[in-house]
Amino acid sequence: MPALLLTLLKFIFVAFVYLFVWQVARAVGSHVGTGEITRRSKPGNQVVIIKSETQAGQNIAVRDAVVLGRSAEADIVLEDPYASEFHMRLVRQDGGIVLHDLGSTNGTYVNGRRVGSPITLSQGDAIQVGKTIMEVR
Amino acid sequence: MTRNAEAALLVGAASVAAFGVALVNLARGDGLDAQVALTFVVMIASFGGLHLAIRQWSPEASTYLLPLAAILTAIGFVEVYRLDRGLASLQRWWLLIATALAVSLLLAMRRTGLAPLRRYRYVFLLSGLLLLLLPLLPTDWSFPLRGFEQNGSRLWIRFQAGPLRLQFQPGEIAKLVLAAFLASYLSERQAVLGVQTRPLGRYRLPELRQLAPLVIAWAASFVVLIYQRDLGASLLLFALFIAMLYAATGRGIYLTTGGLLFGAGGVAAWLSFPHVQRRVSAWLDPFGDYADTGYQIAQSLFAFGSGSLSGSGLGLGAPDRIPNAATDFIFAAVGEELGLAGSVAVIATFALLVAVGFGISLRSRDTFRKLLAGGLAFVLGLQTFLIIAGVMRLLPLTGITLPFMSYGGSSLVANFLLLALLARISHEERA
Repeated sequence: MPALLLTLLKFIFVAFVYLFVWQVARAVGSHVGTGEITRRSKPGNQVVIIKSETQAGQNIAVRDAVVLGRSAEADIVLEDPYASEFHMRLVRQDGGIVLHDLGSTNGTYVNGRRVGSPITLSQGDAIQVGKTIMEVR
Repeated sequence: MTRNAEAALLVGAASVAAFGVALVNLARGDGLDAQVALTFVVMIASFGGLHLAIRQWSPEASTYLLPLAAILTAIGFVEVYRLDRGLASLQRWWLLIATALAVSLLLAMRRTGLAPLRRYRYVFLLSGLLLLLLPLLPTDWSFPLRGFEQNGSRLWIRFQAGPLRLQFQPGEIAKLVLAAFLASYLSERQAVLGVQTRPLGRYRLPELRQLAPLVIAWAASFVVLIYQRDLGASLLLFALFIAMLYAATGRGIYLTTGGLLFGAGGVAAWLSFPHVQRRVSAWLDPFGDYADTGYQIAQSLFAFGSGSLSGSGLGLGAPDRIPNAATDFIFAAVGEELGLAGSVAVIATFALLVAVGFGISLRSRDTFRKLLAGGLAFVLGLQTFLIIAGVMRLLPLTGITLPFMSYGGSSLVANFLLLALLARISHEERA
């Protein structure tokens, strides 16, 4: 076999491989690059306590606005020693729920981040107050 | 891409494999023989079979998975054939076995889908751990299933009944099984794991109980490291756990703790195991001990060097000088005979395959499928990166296979099953 022919065939082989990869890459590019990627951003409708010593399973319906806290005067009483008297407020707004921290001592955490300014909740978000954990559904 | 375009590409990949085998034959002056036709037929039977199974039982599955895997398998097979014809004919059998198993997996999942993977997670955890520990069976007892040591690693089991002798690396399958367990476990516990309760200075740590799976992961991967003396498998396993925890929770603390734990484990391993020290010194200075520990890496570097831009041509280089060229060092053989051009094509193909896997994960609405696809794509990408980086002396060498390309039954079977799982996930997401 002449060496020249083999060299030529070598380039043809690599060219075939590239042609093949290019064909797939073009199709993949239009698939991975664009097109919407689904995110869980459906607005929440209610809040359910999923972890608490005494209140697990309790369903908190949010109609207009509810205040949650340790005080007996709160709309929803949180039986948690780490919660403040008036800990946070949930407000129904534009079809979703917005969470306001009412200057609580130990803070309110949504998905592990401390809430500063009011935050709009999405389904699946985890809200934590002291040792109580709630989920937005 | 339509199913028919996918089929056309699969025929293309089979042709590339046959063309490559023909080139190897021509370069050696052997002339064309039955090997060319046989390679084409086996490639068509294998990927054609998978293609038909997907058409039948997962018709909505992504069409990009098979062509990418097929071209990798084709290039890998050509190099294995070039290095050792005996291995190549075994590899053909493994290809058919792997296809048969992947097709059976698709068949088994045709009605139930991935639900059993999710439901029986503790069965999967247990079988994953058992698979990991299987190579520690005694090597010399009378039971036909025995542990087996090769190249200093205790990663193999050998089944021996009379003249029949089969060897297998159960760790390859354990990876998939444990990924399924983790996806199921984490998708259920996502809400609780993401929440941090224990304050430590200005940081808040997850509750210790929630960290338990992480500690189990760490322990399991170090059992592999210590008793089976294998760096690659243990690193892969540990990274899979960390990556999936991170994917499930989005909390950087898992990455930092995981990194620290791994760093500490790595240093401890380096201090206490001579085989780890050998790997590291061969990495830092392969030519310092050229005749012994550095030989393999040095030969690999020579291969890439002499391959240069466009390579020596198939069958015209000397990649057979590298020890274990057909398994761990297959990428060096590609680098020598197809040059930078061929190596870049291979890396690009792997990158595309991993991107397609992550694409499937990102598109999934269901957390379990999202995590499973993400974990599988991650482990495929990391394994590819580790062995290519090891062969090119970017990182110390970890003895693992290059997915789809290296010679090896366990590796092919595991990667074909991974392909079937990804196909099924993408099907369920769209169906």
